[in-house]
Amino acid sequence: MTKNEFLARLAEELDRKKVADAADIISEYEQHFAFKMADGFSEEEIAAKLGDPVAHAAQFESSAADPSSASSSRGGRDGRGGRKAVTVIGLCFADLFAGIFFVLLMAWEVIMIAFSLACAAIAVCLLGKLNIYSLIPPMPYWCAAILGLAIAALSVLAAVGSVYFAAFVRQLMRSYGRFHHNAIAAASGKAVLPSLAIHPQLAPKANRRLRTIALIALIIFVVFTILGMIVAMISSGALEFWHAWGWFGYTETGVNTVHGLN
Amino acid sequence: MNIQYKKGVLELCVMSLLKKRDCYGYEISEYLSKHIDIADGTVYPILRKLKSDGLLTTFLQEESGGPPRKYYSLTDLGQKTYEKELTEYLRFARAVETLLEDDDHDEK
Repeated sequence: MTKNEFLARLAEELDRKKVADAADIISEYEQHFAFKMADGFSEEEIAAKLGDPVAHAAQFESSAADPSSASSSRGGRDGRGGRKAVTVIGLCFADLFAGIFFVLLMAWEVIMIAFSLACAAIAVCLLGKLNIYSLIPPMPYWCAAILGLAIAALSVLAAVGSVYFAAFVRQLMRSYGRFHHNAIAAASGKAVLPSLAIHPQLAPKANRRLRTIALIALIIFVVFTILGMIVAMISSGALEFWHAWGWFGYTETGVNTVHGLN
Repeated sequence: MNIQYKKGVLELCVMSLLKKRDCYGYEISEYLSKHIDIADGTVYPILRKLKSDGLLTTFLQEESGGPPRKYYSLTDLGQKTYEKELTEYLRFARAVETLLEDDDHDEK
């Protein structure tokens, strides 16, 4: 049996037994052929060693026999059309709510990205001695540099958060999409695909890397914020250094500078 | 050996391999057929079953010069199940061994 004969036979049997995700299974066998052929085996040898495609298809069928697909085939016999209509109407309402929910989640994602970018901009201004429109309150450069690093770390933290949140929202939407697909498939007696997990499916390596970055950024943020406060207190000689430097409309003597009051 | 009988034990072997590291399907197939006399294709339905039971998850990883490979990884549930079933299996295997050895001695 050649590769194509084997795969065609397998596909035919999977289709006949209504096994879900048949394309995924076939691609796994295709890869097996690819690896073995790279090792110098002939298609016939590989197919012979793989075993009988009909027997494999039967194994897939027994492993996928879950209660949801059994109930769908029962429902199929009595009034499939009515059941499908009810499911579709129900799903329309569910989609409406889920859609609003997803818009809300995406809005939060945008806020997190904006926050991260804003923090990064402030950090650049503080570190680079840029005082655009005098938005940065007066302080010695060393204080500004330390606080700038703290805010840069906060920006990184927010960036990691937004990456993770984006992965979460994406997976949630995919999971909901699969639920939607399965609900219709079950109502119309088609094969049900395995449901997807809700939590983000990051590769272990990426997951570890994100966690390390977040941890380092958190430590830098906490340490440099406290350090910045202390340095500011020492260099201004006052516990409430913002009064000493005249932030928020206060002069060095602590008198309100609004002219109308003077 | 009976294939249904082997399948239960093979599930255990697959989980033991995945406990050490994440693997792609072909790797697992090669590893098993190197040690145990089974058809190469047997492992794919097993992987599928373990996945639908929630013991494994899959993720795609890019490989240089080829399509992305589907890696299998043991879930927390899989880890727990593996440890439980391993203890059960080892106890069972030891009991069988003792029984059969006794049998051997009786015949002599």
